[in-house]
Amino acid sequence: MRCCDLEALWDEIRDGAAPRREHMLAHLRTCPPCQEMYEQLEGIAYCLTCLPVVEPPQSMVPKILEHLHATVRSARKPDCVAKIGSPIGPLYVAFRDTGITYVALDRNEGEECTLERIGRRLRRGVVPAQAPKWVSDTIEAFFRHHKPNYERIDISELTPFEQAALRAAAEIPVGQVRSYGWVATQIGAPNAARAVGQVMARNPVPLLYPCHRVVDSSGHLHNYEYGLDVKARILELEGYVSVRR
Amino acid sequence: MSALAQNLGDYRLTVPAPSTAHAPARPAGPPPGPENFEGIVDDYQRRLYGFALRMTGNREDAEEIVQDAFVRAYRALAKMDPQQRAELRLQPWLYTITLNVTRNRLRSKRPTNVALDALADPDALLNETQEGPDQPEAIVDRAADMVLVEGALLSLPMHLRAAATLRFIEGRSHPEIAEILNQPIGTVKSHVHRAVRILRRILGPQVGRIVHADDTKETSDAVL
Repeated sequence: MRCCDLEALWDEIRDGAAPRREHMLAHLRTCPPCQEMYEQLEGIAYCLTCLPVVEPPQSMVPKILEHLHATVRSARKPDCVAKIGSPIGPLYVAFRDTGITYVALDRNEGEECTLERIGRRLRRGVVPAQAPKWVSDTIEAFFRHHKPNYERIDISELTPFEQAALRAAAEIPVGQVRSYGWVATQIGAPNAARAVGQVMARNPVPLLYPCHRVVDSSGHLHNYEYGLDVKARILELEGYVSVRR
Repeated sequence: MSALAQNLGDYRLTVPAPSTAHAPARPAGPPPGPENFEGIVDDYQRRLYGFALRMTGNREDAEEIVQDAFVRAYRALAKMDPQQRAELRLQPWLYTITLNVTRNRLRSKRPTNVALDALADPDALLNETQEGPDQPEAIVDRAADMVLVEGALLSLPMHLRAAATLRFIEGRSHPEIAEILNQPIGTVKSHVHRAVRILRRILGPQVGRIVHADDTKETSDAVL
């Protein structure tokens, strides 16, 4: 046991099982500088244990249970999926009372297969349905002026980081593109460009939350779930002509 | 009894005690699942709230973090099969979820606005001291000391704050912390060590004063 070991080993030895415990105790009895250091280390631990225990507000548990019950009710109810025509081909749009939850481009794999794919991604049941007016209006509005009504799109089940990244992407002006790094900086995580890339790749509501306006830092379109041609086509519809694929 | 060893002939090395103010860990029973989730909320809400509060320094954030963590836990449990539920180590798993939610929240909220005066709970301090013979100025001093300690803890980088909070406030062992943080035990020990080193630098001589103030109080309690 050396003096320099005390600081590193102190916490480990507090549990009592470390083989060097007795050596440390013997050393402490004969080394005043280590005694002082030991007092300080124990003092830090003591100060932290003295912090007052704060009781949660009484309303917290009822709020949690209410939230859980809402989650259960919501999980049991399937999303509806409607097929809607668009300038880039038919779209499958999933929706529920809270808004549009998923948009998928038709991959010519058949309705049954597409519904199964959407259900897997949403992790709940889906049923085919006719598009109500608010759904078809939202899609139509996107292709008309490329700015949907975001109150009709439900991304509440995504993590706060995912939601922040998609909202930042929605701030990119129509006809322009920005890099993954730009989105990361906008949401206060400048080192998270790759994580932003993951969010864009998993975007459940492409087009409406415009992940297609996010490209790599050199201006290349980089990637798109439905292929770079589709990404370029959507950007062209918005007035942006990509020079790099 | 003194908080620190006073007598060199009798050096004690204390085992960090789990915080007694929290509810006990869930006793052995049926494996966790959606059907008994209300009981799980009841058992762990104080513990997780306290942890989230120490991590964020903000009561509203802590409340929302705990709410979000329980909803995530519920969703995850609902998707597990019976064997996964039976094998689940519930307590560290709930801490892990709470920590992940905390990280996400703090990341999206940077820079953190910490209202130091909102940290130490005046009600808790008053309740704690009402039973003793403390004078009002002692209560104020104590509250100011705790604000200092809380401020120092909050100034640590998040990974060091998590390690120090779990170790010294939540009373978790190194293997438990390693499980919660999904880190090797050596990394946990190193983070705890670095956290304590920074806290020593920040708090400096205040530590001795806080400890000795409590020693004095305990001595006078004993005399009374």
